[in-house]
Amino acid sequence: MGAALKQTDAGGQQMPRRKFLAWLSGVGLVGSTVAALFSTYFFMKPRATYGQPNRFRIGRPEDFPYGARVAIDSKRVCIVRDGGKIAAISTTCTHLGCIVAPSETGFQCPCHGSQFDVDGNVTGGPAPKPLAWFQVSLTPSGELEVDKDSEIQTGTYLNV
Amino acid sequence: MSKEKNSMVKALVDLPKNVWMSIFRNPLPSSDRGRAATSFSNFFLHIQPVRVSRQALRPTYTMGLGLISFFLFVILMVTGILLMFYYVPSTTQAYDRMLDLRSSVAFGIILRNMHRWAAHAMVAVVFLHMCRVFLTGAYKPPREFNWLIGVTLFILTLFSSFTGYLLPWDQLAFWAITVGTSIAAYAPFIGKSVKFLLLGDATVGQEALLRFYVLHVVVLPTILTMFVAIHFWRIRKDGGLAKPEESAPVPVPVSVEIEQAVPVVASAAVVAAESAPRRFTIQGLVRGPFVKVGKLEEDTVFSWPNLLIAELVVLLITIIGVMAVSIFFNAPLEHPVNVMHPPNPAKAPWYFLGLQEQVSYSAFWGGVGVPGIELLLLALVPYIDRGKAGVGRWFARERVWANALFLTFVLINVVLIVIGTFFRGANWSFVSPF
Repeated sequence: MGAALKQTDAGGQQMPRRKFLAWLSGVGLVGSTVAALFSTYFFMKPRATYGQPNRFRIGRPEDFPYGARVAIDSKRVCIVRDGGKIAAISTTCTHLGCIVAPSETGFQCPCHGSQFDVDGNVTGGPAPKPLAWFQVSLTPSGELEVDKDSEIQTGTYLNV
Repeated sequence: MSKEKNSMVKALVDLPKNVWMSIFRNPLPSSDRGRAATSFSNFFLHIQPVRVSRQALRPTYTMGLGLISFFLFVILMVTGILLMFYYVPSTTQAYDRMLDLRSSVAFGIILRNMHRWAAHAMVAVVFLHMCRVFLTGAYKPPREFNWLIGVTLFILTLFSSFTGYLLPWDQLAFWAITVGTSIAAYAPFIGKSVKFLLLGDATVGQEALLRFYVLHVVVLPTILTMFVAIHFWRIRKDGGLAKPEESAPVPVPVSVEIEQAVPVVASAAVVAAESAPRRFTIQGLVRGPFVKVGKLEEDTVFSWPNLLIAELVVLLITIIGVMAVSIFFNAPLEHPVNVMHPPNPAKAPWYFLGLQEQVSYSAFWGGVGVPGIELLLLALVPYIDRGKAGVGRWFARERVWANALFLTFVLINVVLIVIGTFFRGANWSFVSPF
């Protein structure tokens, strides 16, 4: 029996099957590792998040007097009123995400010293982009609504 | 009957000895063979060689920096596990738990201090250990890959300390996560996904705290422990610490007589290369530049007790140092998180202030590009510098250019840290500390 097995080994009859099995287990192992890694990635990536809503109301236009620059830090926006026009400028620094504070010359970031003018354009520091402007609209009830999901061009105001 | 009684008495009388022998296999060593056997047959001692070169024991050669790093890691594990009993990774509870540790938990304050200061020390000592290895040329073949593992350990140490100082959920924590994950988002292609995976949410909050907690207490320590084990194992396999050329291993016949009935454990340690009845354990048959069995270097001493005492002294110094600092200085705890107001200036711990100084010029280059290139060059050091001269000596003349280049790199980073620490004020504007 043993001798017979040995002979077939030497004759090359058994080897293709062994090779095939080894190859099959190798592919299976690599394949399941890749599959496991992908599933781990999808497991770690949440499907639903529970952060703050990106659309929110901020009050009536009358609440913001002419020339006001009111930072709503909890929402990370600054409401700017220029005459009859209103806009919402992001106060999240485009550099590394700190909250910029309104200053006389515009906005300043405490973390790495980025500076912006009153329209949010970069005037100094490491910030790579101007501060984002968000869509502001007037709801039927006469309230202002900011939508942080829709960025608009710098200098686009809502006339109220 | 009386025979049985006698054997019972004998078993009782011999009980302590039998228990000792069953655990340690050898009596306390009094001869060279005993010292060899003790080192060889003890799980904890077998990590070390039976004999160790005098050069490796010289405090001025290694300054014990690698060992101090390891002991600091052990202190961090012990204090960290204890702190876990009182910590809750919740945005509403974490900060209060810190206050509890400081006020109402017995020894809570000293454990927290030890954990924080040991972490700071580990960052510094691991870096200094890397400097020692570079300046003595100890990364040369066959130790190239162990240098690479060392660089990995350095990065893991930095990640561990970063994920650690987020857990108190104070102002430093919140703004450090904000800035740190924003830096990650600048990485090409994968940056945004990495940020989202780390935060587990669109904004920094509970999910982020939980994720950093799991990374800090399970994932990173596990990986670190594995790499430390490989690092140690390779020291042995690469022939111990790097030695100068003139004292490189010279096989010399050993004048220890071997009887026929030597137990295997002892024979592997002391078997002579050329002595008459050749008895090899499996290690003796392995070929390669790393085999040290059967060869003894001239300038060596037994690890028991020489190396052991040196290690215990280093352990003692490390514990005393961490304890002393922890008794006199409290670990920093900033105000509770205020998601609306970053502190001004918002400064990272000292070891990241060089990085913070860099990102204040450019987020991508300062936070991703330059550190990435630096780490890559650091990792490739042994594969770039292929010269063989100047191993095992501090500031070897043959390595003057390599050392100068490395020290320049160190100096630049130290200067950046000094600027970030002392010369930056509100809004990260330049201020004079004087």
